[in-house]
Amino acid sequence: MRIANQSIYDGITARLITTSDALQKANEIVSSGKRINHLSDDPVGLVQVLGLRSALSNMSQIQRNIGTGRTWLNGGETALESVKELISDAKVLGLQMANGTVSAAEREGAAEQVNGILEQIVSLANTQVNGQYVFSGTKTDVKPFEISYTAEDPTGVDYLGNGNPFTIEIGKDMDVPVGHDGEAVFGDVFQNLIDLRDALKNNDVDGISRSIPKLDVDFGRVINTVSEIGAREVRLDVKEKIIADLNLSYEERKSELEDADMLEAISELRATETAYEAALSSSAQVMRMSLLDYL
Amino acid sequence: MGGLGLTLNTAKDALLSQRLAIDVVSHNIANVNTPGYTRQTPVLEANDPALYAGMVMGRGVSVDQILRNSNTLIETSLQQRKSDLSATEEEEVYMKVLESLFNESSDGSLSAQLSEFWNAWHDLANNPSGLPERTILYEKGALLSQAFGDLSGNLSQLDQELNLSIGGGVGKINELLAGIADLNPQIVSLQSMGNANDLLDKRNNLVTELSEYLDVRTFEQEDGNLTVTTGSGYTLVSHSEVYSLEFDAGRIKWESSGTTHADITDTITGGKMGGWLEVRDVIAPQYKSELDELAKSIVWEVNGIHTQGAGLKKYEDTLTASYGVGEGNAATDLANTALDFRDGIGTGSFNIWVYDNAGNVVGGGPKTVSIFAGPGGTSLEDLIASIDGPDLAAGEVDGKLVLTPSAGYSFAFSDDTSHVLTALGINTFFTGSDARSMGMNAALNADKSLIAAGRMDSAGEMAVGDNSNALAMTKLQYRPVSMSRYEYERGEADPVEIEVDDTIENYLYSLVASIGTRSQSTSRAREYNEVIVNKLTDTRNNLSAVSLDEEMTNLIKYQQAYMAAAKLISTVDEMYQALLDTKQT
Repeated sequence: MRIANQSIYDGITARLITTSDALQKANEIVSSGKRINHLSDDPVGLVQVLGLRSALSNMSQIQRNIGTGRTWLNGGETALESVKELISDAKVLGLQMANGTVSAAEREGAAEQVNGILEQIVSLANTQVNGQYVFSGTKTDVKPFEISYTAEDPTGVDYLGNGNPFTIEIGKDMDVPVGHDGEAVFGDVFQNLIDLRDALKNNDVDGISRSIPKLDVDFGRVINTVSEIGAREVRLDVKEKIIADLNLSYEERKSELEDADMLEAISELRATETAYEAALSSSAQVMRMSLLDYL
Repeated sequence: MGGLGLTLNTAKDALLSQRLAIDVVSHNIANVNTPGYTRQTPVLEANDPALYAGMVMGRGVSVDQILRNSNTLIETSLQQRKSDLSATEEEEVYMKVLESLFNESSDGSLSAQLSEFWNAWHDLANNPSGLPERTILYEKGALLSQAFGDLSGNLSQLDQELNLSIGGGVGKINELLAGIADLNPQIVSLQSMGNANDLLDKRNNLVTELSEYLDVRTFEQEDGNLTVTTGSGYTLVSHSEVYSLEFDAGRIKWESSGTTHADITDTITGGKMGGWLEVRDVIAPQYKSELDELAKSIVWEVNGIHTQGAGLKKYEDTLTASYGVGEGNAATDLANTALDFRDGIGTGSFNIWVYDNAGNVVGGGPKTVSIFAGPGGTSLEDLIASIDGPDLAAGEVDGKLVLTPSAGYSFAFSDDTSHVLTALGINTFFTGSDARSMGMNAALNADKSLIAAGRMDSAGEMAVGDNSNALAMTKLQYRPVSMSRYEYERGEADPVEIEVDDTIENYLYSLVASIGTRSQSTSRAREYNEVIVNKLTDTRNNLSAVSLDEEMTNLIKYQQAYMAAAKLISTVDEMYQALLDTKQT
């Protein structure tokens, strides 16, 4: 076939463009370390990457949420562990004082002790986490329990919070309460302690004895709440574990989709370099050839 | 005449013909790099023989014609393919631009902004009374709005650039048409005298350039006139007559000889113009519409949740709605006004809580405002009448609801089942209704504690730790929302609308993927057209372009023939001399 000079030049130009384009692509992959550098490189893969990226961002957010939740639960748990001990102390004290051999003066002294226990429990019930009250429902800025006194003696404890425990999200459609409705947690414990104290003061053995089972109920409720908190902590732990596992597999999947296999990328770059060099040298040779050189 | 005279004459013809052939060869060599030049070949022919001395004798050579080595079929299909190639090349360029606009690998990408926006709501839910969380959320909302606004602005700019290119293209086309019309009569007259080879090349170049701008068809007449029409048959050049195009308000008009103008915009499919028009009228509008749809859905859904809630503070100052019903529409039922979200309003009600300067709920409970949607339904005036009271004045400014509490009084909202607050833009998070107009509610800018993380309880109280509204907002990212996708077609005024139920993020991903996929297929189409054009160009060049090796060979061939003819003359001269010498002696 007849080959025009223009065809030779066009062919050389076209081949050099193709190979340098391939070289540029290979170089981009190696230097960015990414397989997908433009939307059009792999639209389907990119959408998966975007989905994974968003899921990963959501996961690290959920991890933060779980962190917040754990702080709240821990705050409540620590307080309630002490409350449990204090109720138990009050009960033991009550049992001792219900004994017929105890003197009125001793009971008077024990009444003071019960007052102290009551104040300690109220103070624990007013526990704050990051400046927010754990036992006041969602009224987290309001000190939930307020003691009213007659003379030196506490005569009542008012609940100023509300009935909606503070809640966090630990996943799609998964909200967990981490704060508490103080009224539900503490119930009648304050009134029962006040009754016990009054019975001690009045040297009323029957009254003292009646208080014991009531305190048992309070003790049981606190224990229940503590174990509920424990169960929620387990939920958070499980969720965190799941996220940690997912996080790893999502990161892996994302990397598989978007990161370049460096070994492959570099050998691809070498191959295109070689092809480019070959194209350059053969082009240079072809361009130099002419009948004119022989005339 | 015969004898030596005949021989001399033959030698002279040979000298002339070979020199003429060398002229043609040198013209070819000179034009080896001229684009579109068609190789010319001298056609040598033996002269007619004559009877001499009882014999039929040959009478030498002459150049019969100078042939133009061209194939119309190849030239035409090359022009058509170049037209297709130019269209896909331009589409590819603009797809690359769109790709970079929607670049999703950077941190500033829309999807990254969206993730951060949701996360900011999570952080607010974790600490609903925190001011830093509120400020960050506000900033994330503003950044998201800005990302939408930037993209929208970039798409508008793209549209303007396309119109500039199209306008420039029309000018260029008219210039080329005039050039072709100019050449037509010159070619006709030269052709009658011999050949118009070089002018034919010139005209062919103009047609090739023209088809890079526009899909055209050409018909060459016997006499050499070339008629040019658009791909759909509108005559552009006939003889020396030009029917030029006009670019008017985004449309391409064809001017016939009279005063009639035909809009041929949607019939142009090839060349750069075809590519630009495809991007302007089909590709970019889809992405612009979908971006707007996405922004609109985010504004509607986020505001729909936000209006249900309340901030750490109540509204203490005059509150102006962000959307207006439009001039003269105050008495019209809301569904028929100019409200951007009028279609979202339903029959239902909402509560307004008004608080006195001691913070107590006025009247012991909320005022419940009922909304009736549909013909004869609630108008802005009706709404104002049912809200307006001694402690909270309701009015209208520029078609927007304005609420003003008495001094020291404040107000808040809850339980909107009619979505009228969302549609009016009262107690909302975002403003605007598309990517360009999306922004932040000015009331929140003034006081971030108005961001509604919680909800009113039945007593009209807002607990600072109530994060129920923020938690509802974080659920929005997982929830499918009803949205539309769009498909545009050339010549169709309205796009085809396809309903989809998907999460906001997935809708964005589909949008991004469709840009990537289209860019990919445009690049493939360009590569395919390029291969064909290269092949055809090769074929055309191998037939019509100059090969220096061939021309050098021809040069030597004709040079030797010339030298031989010269030798012939000197030989005849010697023979004459011999003859004359005989006479003298």
